[in-house]
Formats: sequence, structure tokens, C-alpha cells
Amino acid sequence: MADDPTRLRDYGLQSERLLWPTKGPSKFEEELGVEELEQALGITTLAKAVRWAQTKSMWPDTFGLACCAIEMMSMVGSRYDLARFGMEAFRSSPRQADLLIVSGRVAHKMAAPLRQIYDQMLEPKWVIAMGACASSGGMFNNYAILQGVDRIVPVDIYVPFCPPRPEALMEGIIRLHEAHMAGVPPAYDRKQVAT
Amino acid sequence: MSDWTKVPGHISTKEEHGETTVVVERAHVRDACAYARDELGFNVLIDVVATDYLGWDRKGVSGYIGTASGRDLNTPMTQGLQALPDAKPARFSMSYHLLALQQGAPRVRLQCWLEDGDPIDSVIPVWPAADWLEREQYDLMGIRFHGHPNLERLLMEDDWEGHPLRKDYPIGGEPVRFSPAE
Amino acid sequence: MSTTRSHVGRARRWPIVGDPIYEGSRIPRRVPTVLDVPPALHETDDIMQVNFGPNHPSTHGVLRLIVDLDGEQVVGLSAVIGYLHTGFEKSMEQKTWWKAITYPERIDYLGYQNNELVFVLAIEKMLGIEVPEKATWMRMLLCELNRIQSHLVYLGTSALELGAISMFWYTYRERETILDLSELVAGQRMHTRYFQAGGLAEDIPSGFFPEARKFVEIMPRALDEYLTILDRNQIWLERTQGVGLLSADDAIALGQSGPVLRASGVDWDLRRDQPYLAYDQVDFRVPVYTGGDVYDRYRVRMDEMAESVKIVRQCLDRLERMEGEPWIADDRKVVLPPREELHTSMESLIHHFKIVTEGYRVPAGEVYVAIESPRGESGCYVVSDGGPRPWRVHFRAPSFAALQATATCSGGALIADLIAVVGSLDAVMGDVDR
Repeated sequence: MADDPTRLRDYGLQSERLLWPTKGPSKFEEELGVEELEQALGITTLAKAVRWAQTKSMWPDTFGLACCAIEMMSMVGSRYDLARFGMEAFRSSPRQADLLIVSGRVAHKMAAPLRQIYDQMLEPKWVIAMGACASSGGMFNNYAILQGVDRIVPVDIYVPFCPPRPEALMEGIIRLHEAHMAGVPPAYDRKQVAT
Repeated sequence: MSDWTKVPGHISTKEEHGETTVVVERAHVRDACAYARDELGFNVLIDVVATDYLGWDRKGVSGYIGTASGRDLNTPMTQGLQALPDAKPARFSMSYHLLALQQGAPRVRLQCWLEDGDPIDSVIPVWPAADWLEREQYDLMGIRFHGHPNLERLLMEDDWEGHPLRKDYPIGGEPVRFSPAE
Repeated sequence: MSTTRSHVGRARRWPIVGDPIYEGSRIPRRVPTVLDVPPALHETDDIMQVNFGPNHPSTHGVLRLIVDLDGEQVVGLSAVIGYLHTGFEKSMEQKTWWKAITYPERIDYLGYQNNELVFVLAIEKMLGIEVPEKATWMRMLLCELNRIQSHLVYLGTSALELGAISMFWYTYRERETILDLSELVAGQRMHTRYFQAGGLAEDIPSGFFPEARKFVEIMPRALDEYLTILDRNQIWLERTQGVGLLSADDAIALGQSGPVLRASGVDWDLRRDQPYLAYDQVDFRVPVYTGGDVYDRYRVRMDEMAESVKIVRQCLDRLERMEGEPWIADDRKVVLPPREELHTSMESLIHHFKIVTEGYRVPAGEVYVAIESPRGESGCYVVSDGGPRPWRVHFRAPSFAALQATATCSGGALIADLIAVVGSLDAVMGDVDR
């Protein structure tokens, strides 16, 4: 995080701070605080702006597997509108998708295509394990089902229940947005497994 | 009601729970199915099911023990029981569920018994619907169908070893840790 | 091309005779489920093999089609399934009968109520217990609501794939109302687990009937709306009429059932011809069309939705008079006793303990029960050894049979028609792969 460009100077842009590097915060900034000033005036750092933009149009990949996919489709419906988050554009091609919502039970036969789809997505990418089967294998503790999709892809958010209500999935998505806005890196940077 | 004794390879007929189960010899399964379709009018193949009866009459399978005469109050383990399940003729049973599109929806179950490794004729020439049904039973139970044009694994991966639905195949999965102490 | 070629509610019943849709049989010779590339095209370089991989945008789940194309025309087709194989049958062998009821719902995850029903009916058939009337009618009501819900999803996704994208939002609007009803009754939108061996898990809550009445009023208007949007749309008609033909003989030979069979001209519906629950006491029609194409399957499902609304209305009329009646059978060996009794009766306590820990025992035997699910004949073959766990459970999946017909329906189709055909067969991959 220390290397993230945070000030205009890091981008080679002129400002009074550039001309007077040792200036420190002005009286105005001291009273208001840098963060509030930025918020009040709508100034932000580039990284935060980029994260905001990514959050507001995080396009999911069409990866509906089983019953959870039906609830995911319900979320796209008009009652639990997903378009208000800018996410109604489900991309079929993983090259154009940001978010992989693994919705449904993952059989071992499907694990290879799943990993391939995940690899084809471009950074930054996030994974939501939707439902009990994707999070941990669910009620199917047997020869056929992968016990949790985090064995093969790093997962950011786990949404429990069988199947989760559309509101539950929306909460998962909103938490993902908040985490990303706060600067939490995607799972492939955080986790040591399955990257 | 149809006269089941005329079916080629007929061994026995049983009526239970309102259903007819006709046991035929394994070698005559295809002829029996053709007879059922042409002579008796059962024109729809609903399902092809194999059942593995390994361990059926071993003690402890169903959790109870009984005497031939039923309940014996003097033997503690026989409290509240029914009779022992009857022994089966062979390890696997193949059931063909048939339906006739007629008044009253007559159904029948043509059943034959086979051991592990016995070949059985495919009924694809009688009903093309048997294609995937038999492939599924081959995949999950390991029963080879003679004359099937494409006997490959259907539901499991192509290189999977073993036949999952057999009784000697473990359920798989993994032990679940319910607390950090385990 | 402005009028349909068939009519609803034909007076004549099975067997259907008439002009066949095509001559002879189009079932592929070598392997019935594989369309082989004609030998003449083998040598040329014109064939392109395309993989409609398990992850593809038409929302039918994880079906893989390996398609050989000559230009835009499909000359070879084979389907690879198994990407959702869950091992239901083996999992259910490990659980007691009570716990195993949770599993079948997830098999056909759109017609979940029907899968649950067929398993519970199989258990009850072997146990020989009698289900009270209230439970029977409520089960029928829920299954018909489930049928409407499943057909709405079919309509929405099928239209979405063909380009009529806005249908998705219209159908899901009504679907949300149905799911609200499920939530009102059973506490969960999908996979309600509301049926128990012997009846229902709990009594019907009091607010249910007014809400269901409201739904029954709005649904016919919604159906008219869908017909207005789609049925005279020239693009829809051109993309669905004459596409994906399946004759009656081929449909029977391929083991089809449900809307696919009825759209091919075979007048067969298990609700009328082998009545289960209380279907012989309600009045409904069975839509049959003779075109055998995608359009007729769509019309069959639309008409079925209208008929289901009629059945739901009749069930409501009947159920509203049954307030206070028992909702589950009285057999204490199978059904949990009411909790108040546990404080006073020793036998109830023992029964409760035995049922919860060990599970009720189902007498030895084998049974096959079939019902009419939204996809066709859904059946459950159960073998019991007399113990607390099933010995073998097998589900006859209507989508499995429907997918087998893909190769036959797609002969000579263009690739865009292939999408329409697969959508019209309405295969749910959970049902196919089990």
C-alpha cells in the first residue's frame, strides 16, 4: 500500500505542495481533516476513483450451475434489481467479466472448466462462493462434489444458505463492494491457496 | 390383465403395492422387451435401473435381527421387528420399467438377475431411449450391455475408476471438522 | 404465417392418427443420441467442430454440446453431460428416510416440489399409510404452483435466449409472487421441504388463502400479457415454428413425456390418465398440439399454466373449507407426535425418540411411483430393506429423456435453431445428471 500513488505529486502533477514540499497541511485542512476535505470537495486519489468505478460496474460471469443460479437469476429480476448496482450485464465471455459467482454445486467433472474460466478472467477479479455447496460442499459430502470451491479458486465472499435468498446474495455483493472500496485486495493477492 | 407367462424367458410374476414385477431370464431380456412392446402394447421405456444387493442378507445391514417366526421376546435383539428380508437370487437386479399408453396406464417392471461380470443384451433395438439409460447404469453400476453402440461413461469423468453406486464403493467425501480440537 | 396449425382440447383421444410431421423416423441409426456427420462431408474441410462448453450463456446449466457445423447448419451433434453429477442416489442411501426427503428437491431444482412429492409418495406407498385430505389437496396446490413457476422460468429463459430479452423480467415478476406464497407456507422460497411422509410438515398458516386468491386473480392477466408480447411477434413465430420437429412415434420411442410428448400429438398426461393425489376430483384440460415443433411446445406450456391456475383455484375452494383438519397422518410409528403429548405420554416420548434418532422403518419391498412434473414423467424407484434407510433410490428424470431427443430434433437445423430446440426441451441439468 505504501507504493500506491496517493498524491498528485506521485503522478508528476503540479500543485502548491510540489513547489513547497515541506509545507504540511493548511489550517483549513487541519480543522477539516484530509479525508473529509476530499469527501466534501469530491477530490479523491486516483486509486480510490478507480476502485469506485470498478465497484459500480463489476460485471459477473454467467456461471450458474444449479439451484443457486435460479436465485441469482431472481436477483436480476425486477424485484431484487441487480441493475441498480450496474451488474445486470452478465458477460458470457470470462475475458469480459470481473466477478465469478459460483452458484451451485461443483462436481469434480466441472472443476476443470471452472478453473479454466477463472484463469481466463483478467485481473482484477473476484469470486463469490454462493450457497452452501460452493462454500463447503453443502449437504453433498460424497464422491462427486468438490467440497468447497475454495479448493481450486481463491474466494472473496462466501454466501451461506441453500439456496441463499437474493437479498443474501446482494448483501454478499455489497460487502464485496465495500471491501474493495476500502482497499482490501482481491482474494488472489490475500490468500495463499489456489492462486 | 396381460398374461405374463407367455413372455419369453419368464420365471415368475409378482404383484405388490399394485405393481407387477415380471422376472425373466437374463438371456431373454431383449426378446421379453420386444414381446412386451409388440404383443402387450407397452410402448414406452420409462427407466432402466440396476440395483446392487451386495450385503442384503448379512446381519446388521438394516439394523435388526429377526427369527423366522418373527418376534421373540426372550431374545433381546429381536424387539419390535419384522421378518428378515428374503435372500436375492444374484447380486444385481436389472429392472426395466415399461408403460403402455392406454386406458388405465398399465405399467410393468421386467426384472432379471445377474452377477458381477455377466453380460446382458442392450434393448436399444427395441427402444432407442435405452441409449443413455444403459450408459448411466454402466457408468454407475458397472453392468456391461452387449450390443450397445456407445458404451462409455456418461455421468462420471472418462477416466474415473470404479463404479460409484455399487455397495462396495465408499461414499467418498471427507470427514467434517466440527471444532478446532479435531 | 399468422395462425397456429393446431388447437387445444381436441375431442379425440389416444391413439392419435393423422398426417405425420415427417415420414418415417429421424432417430439417428448408429447411436440414437448422436447425430453423425454424413460420410460425404467427412473428407471435405468444410466441417467445423464447435464446443458449446459447459459454461455457456443459455441458462440451462452445465450442458456440453459438441456440434459439427457445415457453415451454419448442424450436421453432427453429441451431448456430454455429467458436469452436475451430485451422487444423489448414493447420498440418500446413507441417510434415514426422513433426512433423505431433503435431497430430491435439489434434483430438478425448478420443479422442486414435484421431486419431493414423488419421493414422499413412494415412501407412503410402501408404508401403506393414508394421508389426510387436507394434505393431499395442499400438496396438489403447491405442485401446481410449482408447475406455473417452472414454466415461467422456461418461458423467461427460452425467450431470453432467442432474443426476446424483456420476457425474462415479465415472467420473473409473477414468479416472485409464487415464491412469496411458498415462503408464506413453508418458510423458504425454493426447496421448501414441506412434505413429510404422511402429510405436510406443518399446518397451513392462516394468511395463505387470501394471498393465494390474489395470485389467482392476477395470473390470467399476466398470461394474456405474455401472449400479447410473444405470440404475434413475427420474429418469435419464425424462429420457433417448424423448428425442432419430433413426430409422435419418435417421441414415444425415445421415452418422452410431458410437454414434449403432448406437443408431438400424443394425448397423454399422468394427472388425468393415472391420477395421483386428488387430480381425479379437479376439472382441467390437457393441451395437445400436433405440430411437434418448438412453437407447439411453447403453446403447450402456456396452456398448461392457464390450466394450473384453474386447478389452484379449485384447490383453494376446497382447502378453505378444511380449516382445523389434520394435516398429517396419525400413525405414530412414522409421524412425530404433537409436542404437547410429549409431556404426558410415555409412549409418545418413546416414539418421538425412535423416530428422531433411528428413523421410521419402511417395510421391505420395491416400488415405482410416477407423477407429472413440469418436465414430464418424474418417477422414483425405491427399494427398501425394511430398515431406517433406503437401500436404493433411483429417480427417473424427464430431462434425461428429453435431452436424448436433441439429436433427433436438430437434424438439419441451423445453429440458431439449436438454441431454440434445447430451450424447448426444457432440460434442467440437475435432473439430467442427478
